[in-house]
Order: sequence, then structure tokens, then C-alpha cells
Amino acid sequence: MSGGVDSSVAAALLVRQGYDVVGITMKLFEDGSDLPDRPCCSLDSTSDARRVAELLGIPHYVLNMVDHFSRDVIAEFVAEYARGRTPIPCVRCNTFTKFSDLVAKADGIDAQYVATGHYARAIDGDLHRGLDENKDQTYFLWGINRAVVKRLLLPVGGMTKPETRALARELALPRVADKAESQEICFVPDGDYVQILRRELGDEAPALSSGKIVTMKGRVVGQHEGFARYTIGQRRGLPGGWGEPMYVVALRPETREVVVGPREALLGSRVAASGVNWLVEAPPRVGDEVQVRIRHRASLASAVVDAVGEGTAAFSLVSPVSAITPGQSVVIYEGTRVLGGGFID
Amino acid sequence: MPLPPIYLDHAATTPVRPEVLEAMLPYFATKFGNASSTHRWGREARAATDTARERIGACLGANADEICLTSGGTEADNLAVLGGWRIQQGNGRPGLVTTPIEHKAVLMSAHQVAREGGDERLLDIDPTGQVNLDSARRLIRDDVAVTSVMWVNNETGVIQPIEELVALAKGAGAVFHTDAVQAFGKVEIDARKLPFDLCSVSGHKFGAPKSIGAVYVRRGTPLAPLFFGGTQDRGRRPGTENVPMAVALATAMELTLKEKDAECARLRALRDRLEAALRSRVPDAVVHGRGAPRAPHMLSLSVPGTDSESMLMALDLQGVACSSGSACQSGSVTPSHVLSAMGVSSELGSAVVRMSVGKLTTDEHIDRVIALFPALIEKARALAGRF
Repeated sequence: MSGGVDSSVAAALLVRQGYDVVGITMKLFEDGSDLPDRPCCSLDSTSDARRVAELLGIPHYVLNMVDHFSRDVIAEFVAEYARGRTPIPCVRCNTFTKFSDLVAKADGIDAQYVATGHYARAIDGDLHRGLDENKDQTYFLWGINRAVVKRLLLPVGGMTKPETRALARELALPRVADKAESQEICFVPDGDYVQILRRELGDEAPALSSGKIVTMKGRVVGQHEGFARYTIGQRRGLPGGWGEPMYVVALRPETREVVVGPREALLGSRVAASGVNWLVEAPPRVGDEVQVRIRHRASLASAVVDAVGEGTAAFSLVSPVSAITPGQSVVIYEGTRVLGGGFID
Repeated sequence: MPLPPIYLDHAATTPVRPEVLEAMLPYFATKFGNASSTHRWGREARAATDTARERIGACLGANADEICLTSGGTEADNLAVLGGWRIQQGNGRPGLVTTPIEHKAVLMSAHQVAREGGDERLLDIDPTGQVNLDSARRLIRDDVAVTSVMWVNNETGVIQPIEELVALAKGAGAVFHTDAVQAFGKVEIDARKLPFDLCSVSGHKFGAPKSIGAVYVRRGTPLAPLFFGGTQDRGRRPGTENVPMAVALATAMELTLKEKDAECARLRALRDRLEAALRSRVPDAVVHGRGAPRAPHMLSLSVPGTDSESMLMALDLQGVACSSGSACQSGSVTPSHVLSAMGVSSELGSAVVRMSVGKLTTDEHIDRVIALFPALIEKARALAGRF
């Protein structure tokens, strides 16, 4: 229970359905616990979660997961930027923190199920997209242990966000119904991830040191203050004066170069992934047709499986898509069912 | 039908005793007067607070004028440490000596002294949980304004060598304060027998409501007030007297002292039985402070391969209320500064469970906890590898 509307309503629905519910708030990091408006882990959001639990008449505990979250999520977030990739920490948080560490805690109290406020559905041991396609969060959930899916309860996954908010109001859940949506990364204050990188890597780190901005043909067109400030498809922070808009099309950490090119240079139709996790017994085979998503909120793309290896997979997209970004996830679907996913290389 | 839950957290707080509640109630209603008023309502309230001070004083071997009523233990400690140090500023006594195992109310006051230019010195703690007297001899010198050492530690129950420390402080001409919040009713506290200057108590630890406490202030001990206002409590603690709470504190202290010997023997037997059974069933359990004299109501133990947070949650869900001894405001367990000062490893420190017996504890409770605890430990250890 983060103190937000989704997990609060999820808890309320479970109580209403007659489950014996224990509320848990994970304390994930120390910074900013005194900032009132952070989406989670601040004292305020913890007390919002506690107020909801009090209202629902369920016990509520705060579990300190700071060490593991720092090791499994924040450290890798930083390392990925240092490698010139664009990480997606929510995936690792779900994989390692929520659906592994928290599940171990749940086992410690003999909890049969683990419930969260995710917009996704667990049906017969399979993970499906949430009914509200605008809010679907399976993009972040592909990495979890398949066995855990059988124990998942995702009460808001069958609802739309407006329905969730309406229910929060109907249940008179204190303070949570009209809370602002949390889009930013929970441990990054004000969306300024560079601040975290500077703290963890130091200002002298290659990823934060100046380098050249070059065209795809190698012409130097400017300077940047650290390739970790850029991501594929970005326009902000690039020199102007071109006949057409220019975008970041590649990062080269070994030479600290940021490569720019026109919009069409962003298009790609090959996706290779590592760290692949399958959520189904029989993963797709070479030649199978699947649907993939390569970025949160991007539309689904039809693809053909090119290769499946030990923890790896590759796909050919039927039509090219823009900004296939290393470090982001590729999630593989069949209908609404999540087959698996991996990190884009 | 689940069994009724078991409260093993008397060191955190205790229920208000019915006699106490009964004694205080009239002062909310018919006897509502302001003790500073000259009319009959005022006189009635004044008589009640005067009597309460006398009764509280008698419980500490003190006179009524030596009792300063506060909003609780935290204010009492703040007033003693900060008030005692501030008034001696400029007397060539910048020193403030305390220990790293104090309650945060003393520790944070000591840090505030340091921010105000004082010389904060922390005594060493032996692995048993007692203050190291050699370090006390070294640090309590004639440049010390106040020495503050708790009587009974709130996490381990270890009794500190107050007699020796008082002597050292008095020898150096320093004011001696002791935080006796966990000590009252568990050890003898008599201002006629030991020459401490300041002593804090907190009512809710022994059957009075929360938000009432007192500092004993030996006659002649200088103290700067924390608050500014009227002349109540000789100006040491301005603010309209909380008459019902004063009556409650006096009543709870008297009841506690009257029953002290018998109750302490009862609690010690319960605690010792619990401790012996848990140690025999979980042989590698470590009891903190076991080598030192301990107050009879507390048991602080760590089992390797477990963690406090999970243990407390599992115990609570099984109906057993314990504590880790320290909690941060968000409710999450933080590593104990007391155990780390004793040299306990962070692995053991993060596994601590504090059980404190008291008024509500029965033999049957102890039996149930003895039956339950080893199984929880086994499960916690099995899961530890996964976390």
C-alpha cells in the first residue's frame, strides 16, 4: 500500500470480498522522506496508507526494504545510464522487490496471496493486460517469477482508472481519491535523475563528462555535458539550425559520443533482448507471430520471433517503429496475455 | 474463536489503572478549577496539585517543592539536560556528559547542547550494556555542567551503575541527572539515599495516562526553564497546571510503590521463565544485557538469521505484541543505537525483539509465547535465505 489510490482501492476491494487482508507499505529509500508531495515512501504517503488501513480495519506494517531496493533497483538504474542505456527501474522493483522480497515477507506470515494495485490481471496463472488499456502496467511486470502469478490478486486490474477513483470516493478513503497520478520514478526527486547519477557516480564519471555530439556520418556538430543526460529519440539539449528536426539516435559510451540524426533514422524493425523471462510454460518459437510493446504506452506492434535462446530473444517487427531504446523493455503478448519480456539491447 | 491477544510491550506503555482513572475524573468535571485562581474553585484545584506534588515527592524521597510536573518523559529529560546545562553556561563548565544508549529525549537534548556550543561527551558502553566507569572517570571532569545517565535502559533493561556515577559527578561538582522513566517501580529511587540532582519519570509507564511526567529537582539545583509564561511551578514550568494529570501521576506512583516488591518478584519470575524457555528451545538466541543487572520486566533477544521487522509482524498477527525497542516515525524498524553502542553486530541488532512483561501479563501468556516463538523462528530462518 503506497498510500495512492490504486493500492488503497485494491485493499478495500479485497476486504469487501471477505479476504483476511494485511496492509504493507514498503519503505524503499531514505531521501525525501520529509518531502510532502512525493508519490510514495514519504512520511505523508505512509500515513495515508496507514489511514486507509485503519479505515478498513486491517493491520498495517511498514517494512524497511531500503538496502535491497538500493542494491537491486537504484544501483542497476545508475549502472545502466553509465552504460549508455535508458533503464526502467519499475521492472526491477517488481521483479526483485515487490514480487520476490515482499513475497518472502508474505510467506513469513503465511499469506496465501499477494495483492497490489497494478492495472493488470492474473487469470488462471497467466498474466493479462489490465482492462483499462490506457493504464495497463504489464509493461513493468514481465520479469516476475511465474510461480508468483498464481498467487497474485490484482483487484483494480479489471477496472478503469476513473472507476477506481470513483470507488475510492464511494468508500470515502481518506485523501487518496483525488491524489495526483505518480508518473515519475519514485526515488528520483522532481524527475531530475541526473541528480541521482551525480550522487552515485560523481561529477567526474564518463557518463556525466562532456563529449561530442556527432552526426551519423561522424561530423561533430556540438558538445554535450554527459551522454547519460540523453536518451534515444530525445530532441531537447541538441544544437539547432538544421533543415529538419534532429533526434538522438544512438549513444556511444566508449567514445562518449551522442549521435544525432533525422526522424527516419530512429526507425527500426529488429529488437534483440536479454534478461528474458517467460511467464508461460511454452514460450513462443522461431517463426511464431506475436505482438510486442517496446516502450510504455507505445502501441502494440506485430512481430515475428527470430530467435529464442537461454535468456535471450530476437524479433522482427512487421512495420518499423521509432526509438527502440536499449535498457527499455520489450514485452511479448498473445492477445491480452503476457508471454514474457526482456531488456532491449 | 482466536485466543485473546497478548500484550508484551509494557516498556512502551501501560493501561491506565482503574484506581488512577477514578481519582482523576472529578478534576475534569466538578473540580475543574484553575490552580492559580484565588476563589474556591481555584483553591480546590490548588489543594489537589499541592497534595499531588507532596505524594509524588514522597514516592521519590523528595519534598513537594522539588517536584516539577511536565508533559511527560521527553519534556522532563529536555528540561533537565538543556535547562541544567544552559543555566551554567559561562561558568567554565561547557561539558555535558551522557551515554550513547540514552533515550532519544536525552540524546537529542545533548546534541542540542552541542549545537549551542557545549562540549558533548559520550561515555563508553561495555558489551554487557552498562556504562564503562573508567570512561566516566576520564570524562566527568570539573568542566562538566551536567552528567545525564539513564537508570534503566529502555531497550535492554540493563540497570546502570547510578551510585558510582552520581559520586563521580558530585566529585567533579557537576549536576547529575538520571532518566528514570523505565526505572520507577522497578528499582528503588530515593533522593535521600542517593544524591542525584535531577530525575525524570513518566506516568504512562506505570498506569497513569500519557502526557504526564515529572522531574525531581533537588533543592538548590539551578535550572533554566524551557517555556516562558506564568509563575507556575516556581517558574520552572509555566503553564496552567494539569490538575487531573497531577492527581493521576501521584495515584499511579503510590500504587506502584505499594506493590513494587511483590510485583517485581512476579515479573522477574515470568521474565526469567520466558527467557529460560526461549534460550533452551532456541539455543543460539542472544539475550542482550544478560551479564549485567537487569530490571525485572524486560527481555531483549536476537536470534541469528531472523529480522525484527518480520518477527514483529508475524508475532503481532499471531496475537503477540512486542517491540524492537526503537521505531521510526513511519513505523519502520530502524537499527538500534543502543545495541550498536554495546558492540552488537548489525546482523544481531537488526534481529532484536524486546518483550516486556507487566500488569497484564499472566503465566498463561508466557506459556503461549513459549509455545509459539520457536516455530516462528524456524519459519523466519527458512525464509531468510530467500530475502
